[in-house]
Amino acid sequence: MAEENAQQSYGGGGGPRSSGPGGGPGGRPGGPAKRGKRNFVRKKKVCRFCVDKADFIDYKKAEILAPFIQERGKILPRRMTGTCARHQRWLTVAIKRAQNIALLPFAAEL
Amino acid sequence: MEERLYDLIFILRPDTPEADIDKVISTLEHAATEKGGKIDSVNKWGRKRMAYRVQKLREGYFVYMVIRSSHGEVVKELERRLKVSDPVIKYLTVRLDEELKRQDKLKRHRERRAARRPRKTVPAAPAMPGAEQTAAPTA
Repeated sequence: MAEENAQQSYGGGGGPRSSGPGGGPGGRPGGPAKRGKRNFVRKKKVCRFCVDKADFIDYKKAEILAPFIQERGKILPRRMTGTCARHQRWLTVAIKRAQNIALLPFAAEL
Repeated sequence: MEERLYDLIFILRPDTPEADIDKVISTLEHAATEKGGKIDSVNKWGRKRMAYRVQKLREGYFVYMVIRSSHGEVVKELERRLKVSDPVIKYLTVRLDEELKRQDKLKRHRERRAARRPRKTVPAAPAMPGAEQTAAPTA
């Protein structure tokens, strides 16, 4: 019933609103275009550990840490990964521990 | 003194026979209990590829254990034994209780915040169905 009512209300308002849905998607890209020639919409990076609500980064799980090191074995900076300061601090400790027990490389081998 | 929790991981040569692995573990257990510590769990990860070469070996047999003790003597003794035992190529002890404590604290903090939050979201939820109901009569 509720769905039928909702549809009816949509149809009833169709006259004036029919332009609404059509204008909606068109209007959205138009907005930023006014501002400047180049509009980057840089996707905001979010700390992965904050999303998972991680209270502890386990050094034993190398597969979790692996995306945060470069090919050559360097730890990726925060600006690349979007990790928050607190989690980056824990992450570096975890990576260094993992390196010590040969779960992660110190430097890639030739 | 307060009890401490440690992680101990060691790597054995990949060609070590099962019997020798068990022997290493049991001697460690003995040493730990002798010094007043306790081994909570032993977990054999088995043969794994190491991230870099150690003593010209690419693979190692990983063993992970959790140790409980009230003083550092136990760790000292265990590390000494690992150092002298031949099949062991690498080991690492990490003290964990302080991190677990921090983890607990953060968790409690979040739970307290989560308990407070629903009061804010509950009044917002009925507003949505209410809007639909007012829309229906007009149609």
